[in-house]
Amino acid sequence: MSTAAPPQKAAPRRERAGGRLSNGAFALLLTAPGIALFATIIVYPLVSALFTGFFKQDLRLPGREFVGLENFAYWLDGDFLTILKQTLVFTVGATIVPFVIGFALALALNSGLKGSGFLRGLFLFPWVIPGVVISFLWMWIFNANYGVLNGILMKAGIIEESISWLGQPGTAMLAVIITKTWASFPWMMVMLLAGLQTVPKELHEAASMDGAGSIRRFFAVTWPQVRGVASIVLLLEFIWNFQHFDTIYVLTGGGPAGSTETFATAVYQTAFKGFDIGRATALGGLWMLLLLILVAVYLRITERKGDAR
Amino acid sequence: MTTSGISRRGALRMFGIGALSVAGAGALGACAPSGASTSSNGGDTKSKDFDFTSWSLNEEAAKPSIEKIIKAWEKAEGSRIRAVSYPYNEYLSQLTLKLGGGETTGAVHLDIAWLAAIAQMGKLAELDSTAMKGGYTNVALESGMYDGKQYGLPWNTGSIGVIANSKLLEKAGIKKHPTTIEEFEGALRELKGLGNGIVPYAAATKVAQLKDIFPWMQTFGCTLMDGDEVTIGDDASIDAVTWYKKLHDEKLIASDVDRFDARALFGQGKAAFYDDAIIGKGVTSAQSKDKTLADAMQPMKRPVLRSGDTPQALLWGGVIAIVKGKGQDAATEFALHTTSDRATTTEYFASRALPPSTTVGLSDPKVAQDTFTTEWTEKITDTATGSPFWQFAQNAQIEEAVAKQVQAVLVGKSKPKDAMKKAGEEVAALIRR
Amino acid sequence: MTSTTSTPLSGTERLRPHTTSAGRTSRRRIRKDLLRSRIAAWTAVLVIGAFGMLPIYWLLATALSSPEQTFQFPPKLIPTEITFSNFTALAENDQLIKYLVNSLIVASITAVLSVVVATYMGYSFSKFRYRGRRSLMHLVLASQMFPQAVLLVTLYAVFSSFGLLNTYTALVLSFTTFTMPLCVWMLKGIFDTIPDALLEAASIDGASRWRTLHSIVAPLAAPGMIAAGLFAFVRGWNDFIFAVTLADKEKQTLPPGLVSTYIGEFQTAWPELMAASLVVSIPVVIAFMFLQRYLVGGMTAGSVKS
Repeated sequence: MSTAAPPQKAAPRRERAGGRLSNGAFALLLTAPGIALFATIIVYPLVSALFTGFFKQDLRLPGREFVGLENFAYWLDGDFLTILKQTLVFTVGATIVPFVIGFALALALNSGLKGSGFLRGLFLFPWVIPGVVISFLWMWIFNANYGVLNGILMKAGIIEESISWLGQPGTAMLAVIITKTWASFPWMMVMLLAGLQTVPKELHEAASMDGAGSIRRFFAVTWPQVRGVASIVLLLEFIWNFQHFDTIYVLTGGGPAGSTETFATAVYQTAFKGFDIGRATALGGLWMLLLLILVAVYLRITERKGDAR
Repeated sequence: MTTSGISRRGALRMFGIGALSVAGAGALGACAPSGASTSSNGGDTKSKDFDFTSWSLNEEAAKPSIEKIIKAWEKAEGSRIRAVSYPYNEYLSQLTLKLGGGETTGAVHLDIAWLAAIAQMGKLAELDSTAMKGGYTNVALESGMYDGKQYGLPWNTGSIGVIANSKLLEKAGIKKHPTTIEEFEGALRELKGLGNGIVPYAAATKVAQLKDIFPWMQTFGCTLMDGDEVTIGDDASIDAVTWYKKLHDEKLIASDVDRFDARALFGQGKAAFYDDAIIGKGVTSAQSKDKTLADAMQPMKRPVLRSGDTPQALLWGGVIAIVKGKGQDAATEFALHTTSDRATTTEYFASRALPPSTTVGLSDPKVAQDTFTTEWTEKITDTATGSPFWQFAQNAQIEEAVAKQVQAVLVGKSKPKDAMKKAGEEVAALIRR
Repeated sequence: MTSTTSTPLSGTERLRPHTTSAGRTSRRRIRKDLLRSRIAAWTAVLVIGAFGMLPIYWLLATALSSPEQTFQFPPKLIPTEITFSNFTALAENDQLIKYLVNSLIVASITAVLSVVVATYMGYSFSKFRYRGRRSLMHLVLASQMFPQAVLLVTLYAVFSSFGLLNTYTALVLSFTTFTMPLCVWMLKGIFDTIPDALLEAASIDGASRWRTLHSIVAPLAAPGMIAAGLFAFVRGWNDFIFAVTLADKEKQTLPPGLVSTYIGEFQTAWPELMAASLVVSIPVVIAFMFLQRYLVGGMTAGSVKS
């Protein structure tokens, strides 16, 4: 890491009473605990794990054999693209759907309904019930043979026969996304509601006096105000979903027939069920390579836009 | 990957060296992570205190009866047993990691399907002489062996077989257990005819338990392995999967069923047959509203292809293995006592319905008078065999590879022939690694 | 996307309320509008509320039913034979309380540690300019997307060689791998909203940089720090794979604890699992009800005024 480089420009203020350290040195000192922690518990394990990707190594046995890129080839010749596609479907789906639902609810609660504070509190439950338990709860709901979802749909006459939600490739991914949506939308709602509450009421009133309809008002008044929160919420959820593990692992274990396998589950299963840490870390390596490319491209774009911050 | 052979392998290695040196291979040795690198503990083998690792030690249902055994031992010997446990589904991977790291010592409870994978790590003590003292049955002893050596003292030895609901069979006018595949299919159709959303045979269709299809493959004549050759992919295995698919399409079996679901269906009186271990009786009847169900449950010989064939069943059970090093001697004594002391095994049987592994234990009146257990032993355990894949550490992966292919057939993603060919290749590749 | 967290003064001009009146003619239209949006709001609350609350209801209903009832199909939507035995059984299960205490301890320490470290780092990222800053920042953000399972094997070996397995330290440090990056990002966003002029003023008044940070900036950012801490808490509270691998029964947290207690080799104790999950979640829900205004205040301070 090139953080040891000298400061480029001074902070936007005079710094007299700070003492002996230069601004740059002070800034670096501030990051030191973070960097130390980051280096020991994230960077070191990752880098060393990545080396394992070049070896054939059994989790159970000492010793390993250098196999070059064979482990990488195994994935690239095999399931890499499928897993990538499924990871993206899950990540995007489980980000957008809860966002839309959370936003809708936030808008509704913001319109001055009675008891919205209570409702907001109630919606905290899905957020703090441990993730694995949520997965088991939904597994229970989706169960093909005695699940409550099939029970309700049958009673309502919508379906005649039990649907195997988690047992078919099409519905399994849907079920996984719904489960993750349920766990995620509450916190998104809380954040977005907070954003909405900072929009001054007068703005709305003024806009509607100007004759703006509710949709126009949304885009002219509301959206610019919550855009900041919205993008944070989306970014975080996207990042978390990309490496999300529990929900898929519990609900489907990546099945049926591999149709919900994502990077996170594939790496885990290969390493801990198949004991093949060479292949597991190779997949992890490919995943990180992909990420670094994305980050680099992202940096390029934002840098070109001249966003100095 | 399999065909292009050495040249490709060599090329990949070359590229790999290039990539590594770019990445700064100097740090390579220092950076090597390994779950298995830490040296095994050289602790005091004579220590009276030791660890006992078992998934059952945390499970609500099993905990009390095992804790009782532990407490009694602690009191009698004046020693301390540290109880360690991991969730059942994570048990093998956690144990592997911790055994490799020298973290696990003492006695270790193992599913017999896991014994080989753990024994290959070279950390288990050989127990041949101890096992002689136990009076175990031959089948039981075999379940604790790997590579000709005794690594596990058999605790419970049973099998996974078919359980039938005699009341439902009666209702459908089926007088006796079907003995051939043909009769079985006929019976399933009759049962389906009862309506009411009945799943005649609650066979496993989820990957987690699709290994239940192995006995059916064997029933159709596929040996799974012949010497070193994997025989999955032969005509018999294709026939078996085609048959399974047929049952699935005719809704004689249901999708998305694992052992838990099967029990629930059976408990609701919605399934007439399902596969389970002997312990299933207690679990299933306990969660059923129908308090007469327990009496209606009968062990059944798995139907065969041609009458006269040997019915297939999978050996199932648990053993206690001993890790070399700290507390080894005391742990061995404890394991021997737990698995072979008559009073202990009888009491354990009474609370958990897990059949003992010793001749004396089996002949104890409390065990012998349980007709379900004795019938089970006669009809199912007697012809049960271990899976040829257990000898491989990759057993779980092998089972999963096959299960995924079978599932692909069931959901219509793949044809039986292609799927089994692929499964066979994948299994062969896994074994070769 | 991230520019919104940091670019100062972009939208504020647009927000100035209109002071002109639009006349009486539109009053009625507004009232009609209001009614329509009320109806829309109620519909949204009902539909989404159903989606959000029915599973909770089902969790509760399951927790109140006997095992025999649990496996009925079609399921009884309203349990007919209510039993509290699944709840009373919890009181006797001291292991469960141990898991709960472990979870609370580990998640809290994780949150505090992450916030402290992230405060310094985030402040540095926000208020100073140096080479490599942006790369480092993005590396920190991207590190949240790295596969946990890859880290796990090495972390296990590292903790094992330091003799830290089965300690709170191991759990806290491993949870920090994903909570610290999150906190750094959230706190940087919050520091971005603190005007530089304020820091300049402090410096002119003769405050040292440390003092400025500790007694001027930190109090201002306190709601944000609490918010970041809450997020870190929840992430630590939720973790399954690190917890199951790095700690034994004594130090185990709730997620693996619940799984190993109720999801067994032979059976899944649904009613008991649901009862236990509900009970252990209640303290956290209550705490969050009190703390959520910080969540709201803290997060929006950092992002809304973008």
